[in-house]
Amino acid sequence: MSFLIAESLDDALAAIAAGARPIAGGTDLVVGARHGKEALPDELVAIDRIDQLAEIGPGPGGIRIGALVTHATLMTDPLVVAEFTALADAAALVGSPSTRHVGTLGGNVMNASPAMDTGAPLMVLGAVADLQSVGGSRSVPLDELWTGPGTTSAQADELLIGVTLSSAPQRSGSAYVRLEYRRAMEIAVVGAAAAVTLGDDGTIAAAEVALSAVAPTVLLVEGVGDALVGRDPESAASAAAGLAGEQASPISDLRASDSYRRHCVGVMAKRAVVAAARRAAGEDIAVPVNRSIGIGAA
Amino acid sequence: MAITESPRFVRADGPDKVTGSGRYTADMNLTGQLVAKFRYADVASARITRLDVSAAKAMPGVFAVITDEDVPDVHYGSPVPDRTLFARDAVRYEGEVVAAVAAVDAATAQSAVDAIVVEYEALPIVADLEASMAEGSPLVHERWETYDVGDGTEQRPNVASFSSIEKGDVQAGLDQADHVVTSRYEADGTHAIPIEPRAVIAQWEGDKVTIWTSSQVPFDARNGVCETLQLSANRVRVIVPHLGGGFGGKCGFHFEAHVAALARATRRPVKLVFSRREEFLAPDRRRESMIIDITTGVRNDGTITARTGWVAVENGAYTADSAFFPQLSAMHVAGPYAIANVFIESSLVYTNHQPSGSVRAPTAPQACWASESHNDEVARAIGMDPVEFRRRNLVDEGIEGPSGQVYGDIGVRRCLEAAVEAAGYGDDLPADEAIGVAVGWWPSFPGPSGAYIKLDGDGSGQIITGAQECGTGSVMTLRQLAADELGMDAEDFQLVYQDTSAAPYDTGATGSQTLLNNGRAVVESAKEIAEQLRELAADQLEAAAADIVLAGGNAHVAGSPDKSVSIPELAGIAAGGELLIGKGSGTPPEYPSASATCVGDQGMAGWAGPQFSCHAIRIRLDRETGVVRVLDVFAAHDSGTIINPVGARGQVEGGIMMGIGQALTEGTRYGDDGRQQNPALLEYKLQTAADVPTIHTTFIEVPDPNAGPRGAKGVAEAPNVPTAAAIANAITKLIGRPVRQLPMTAERVWTTSNTGSEQGGES
Repeated sequence: MSFLIAESLDDALAAIAAGARPIAGGTDLVVGARHGKEALPDELVAIDRIDQLAEIGPGPGGIRIGALVTHATLMTDPLVVAEFTALADAAALVGSPSTRHVGTLGGNVMNASPAMDTGAPLMVLGAVADLQSVGGSRSVPLDELWTGPGTTSAQADELLIGVTLSSAPQRSGSAYVRLEYRRAMEIAVVGAAAAVTLGDDGTIAAAEVALSAVAPTVLLVEGVGDALVGRDPESAASAAAGLAGEQASPISDLRASDSYRRHCVGVMAKRAVVAAARRAAGEDIAVPVNRSIGIGAA
Repeated sequence: MAITESPRFVRADGPDKVTGSGRYTADMNLTGQLVAKFRYADVASARITRLDVSAAKAMPGVFAVITDEDVPDVHYGSPVPDRTLFARDAVRYEGEVVAAVAAVDAATAQSAVDAIVVEYEALPIVADLEASMAEGSPLVHERWETYDVGDGTEQRPNVASFSSIEKGDVQAGLDQADHVVTSRYEADGTHAIPIEPRAVIAQWEGDKVTIWTSSQVPFDARNGVCETLQLSANRVRVIVPHLGGGFGGKCGFHFEAHVAALARATRRPVKLVFSRREEFLAPDRRRESMIIDITTGVRNDGTITARTGWVAVENGAYTADSAFFPQLSAMHVAGPYAIANVFIESSLVYTNHQPSGSVRAPTAPQACWASESHNDEVARAIGMDPVEFRRRNLVDEGIEGPSGQVYGDIGVRRCLEAAVEAAGYGDDLPADEAIGVAVGWWPSFPGPSGAYIKLDGDGSGQIITGAQECGTGSVMTLRQLAADELGMDAEDFQLVYQDTSAAPYDTGATGSQTLLNNGRAVVESAKEIAEQLRELAADQLEAAAADIVLAGGNAHVAGSPDKSVSIPELAGIAAGGELLIGKGSGTPPEYPSASATCVGDQGMAGWAGPQFSCHAIRIRLDRETGVVRVLDVFAAHDSGTIINPVGARGQVEGGIMMGIGQALTEGTRYGDDGRQQNPALLEYKLQTAADVPTIHTTFIEVPDPNAGPRGAKGVAEAPNVPTAAAIANAITKLIGRPVRQLPMTAERVWTTSNTGSEQGGES
């Protein structure tokens, strides 16, 4: 087994092109190997010291959040909290404080679990994945990146260097809400993110809703714009709940039955739209929504 | 007097544990040590048609592979000798040990485990408690009739033990009732989940073996080794380094003999360390699943006229210490109520699941959850407030309980009033909040126990005790009991404990009994030394021994504190002559009589030192998802005199958290293949620190003369008893009907709330 510590992005890309797998926080790779999910790759390249991948700031085409940004940073970074609040909501719910300090956004995105918490927020915020290899770079919309549970359309020699998002419009807000049975060390049973822009009259001017853990990939709900625009937030939220329930294709497993998941994802979608609209209207709902309103509030 | 009121109370094992300098079994390593790994059945029920270990034995680095053929032919288990160390002919649960390997390292040991060839012929899987008791059910043990199960246990296919409580005439009682309410409740099994997965190291020297193990009951572990490997007690020494919790999961005899047999076969020290997955699957100690049917006749004034019950308690594949569970569960189905006519029968039922055993208050949280939920149903049937209903029926001093025991001075009514008053029961609450109330009880367990104390020449003391510290702090409290007898300071004493060859017998960290029984032994030991010190001081001070007072580290003449000699000085004198050695055991409290007729009496109808409790729990319900959040727990406990309030409060808080987990998020799920589906901490959801509600604890201190030192009863298990029940009653208030399955998961709450499906009801 070889373990290379990359000093630069070029080093990392060269190692990946030669067959090494990238590792940053290791919260999926190492824990998965310990639990017998998949053995550690023979060749690893550590990318955690490539500082340029840990930055949040203006990039080509919008604001780039580097792949090495940790969940702990996402939940507290002023820019993320202000503009991409749903992403901060999601990051704050992941695992435990130690998981959040080690686990990275890039790892979460490329692990491609449909139950990932940061996926639905990135979807509704219109993020694109920035992939780079020794041969060049490209940007891929997330619904094209995620192809199934644990699989992506990235090539073996491509490294996710970050995600790029557009600045939030005026009078917009976002939120991520998750069903959880306990308040720490939890994994999404179902979750929903919403991004909402309000018109001058307080009705919905634009909206997107995406769902966690109810389909083979994070699911962007179709037809949300048409169904929600022009409605007041309450009735828009009900409409979103209906669409979410219809389009979800959940499974039954130890965490929940398919019918309970289908019901609850509608509830989460409704709550996400309501919270996003309240934020769009200027209300300061602390991150994460799960700890600020409803059953999980302190 | 409460000892931790002293600001100087220091828990002797605290600094070790907090700083990380404490050593647990898995931290130890011996020169030449090999690594043990087990080959498990991995199927729930099958006949072994082929077992071939030759390839595994031939692997480089493998020192031994042993099976049933390599150990003495012993069926063990008390009172039902239904098992062998290694599977013989058949396997009856997935975690049964088929073979054990000792190899030079873990990877080699695992390769050898994988190289063992086992072929099976599938047998039917017995999993359903009711079906397994039905005529014609497949048998978990084909040879059940040959098991000598001891007196009082009725033998029936797939029933390991049976008991009943019968008093009065239930038909006559039901005939007097204005309403008859019938309910069925079903509880899933749960796990103890100590933080430390178990570990065992064995090393032979000549014909003697020393075993370091993470056991709660070192003497039981030693006796199991003696029985299965056919060794005398003085050739087996069991030592427990620091123990990382147990909660009952580490009671009993587990894998000490397997590792000792490997060490003997290899002539090397051998070490076994469990993974979390093994900790879930293999030990014969998890909390039993249960089915509970209850029928109660009640008059409109709230008087219970009769109660009948039918209980099935899951034994799993083998009988651990579970033989007394039927009568214990029957007592909890009855509850601490003055019921004239009682007929409750309970069976311990074999299945092809992991064996059950004494996890913190075995059978009680489930049975209390059922009976206290049922009591709220009964109260509802007559339109009476459930707290008032309990006031009408609770036992009290001089009143006969459901098993015919007449109680002395007890605090059960004061517990109820204290909890509901603290909770503000009856005050208005937000629409999605409710307070549920439940009353629980639990026995104390008198038993033999021993200790020595010695004071060395410098006056410093050592307590050599058989007691086991499980993390509760009860052993730590022994220092203060000794110090108080001798007029010394707790910190003048060191503890030598958890070593079966150093100290006399103790039952171990089980049955909430350490302070009750070993406290008595330590006090007796200290009294012997006190007597010696008084004699010595009498010589020095030219006074009568009876007039000597031990206080403040000195011996002085009563009424003349100035006329004194220090205890170190007396110890120095003793060091040149008759040494200061005390020994003690004392006479255990008696088990009170109970007048009920009990078929298969298992000694659980008359309780010594009965403990009482009431929890009033405020919850909030997310109606759209069924998620329940526990906001406040108001707990009132009568555990007799509280000797160590810090420790006792810790037990109440820990028991409540375990109870909340059992109530809402834990529970083992089984597949159709009879195997656990969630043997891991991601899918078996314990409560976390972030989920802890505010816990308000009140102790109702009623000294019990037939209990432990200063009238103390046990306290470790009782707080686990009424928590799930109180949460259940709060949920029912919010959704209008009981959730009849435990745990009351969010999905079960939501389903019950929305579909209205429920079994049972008023007839």
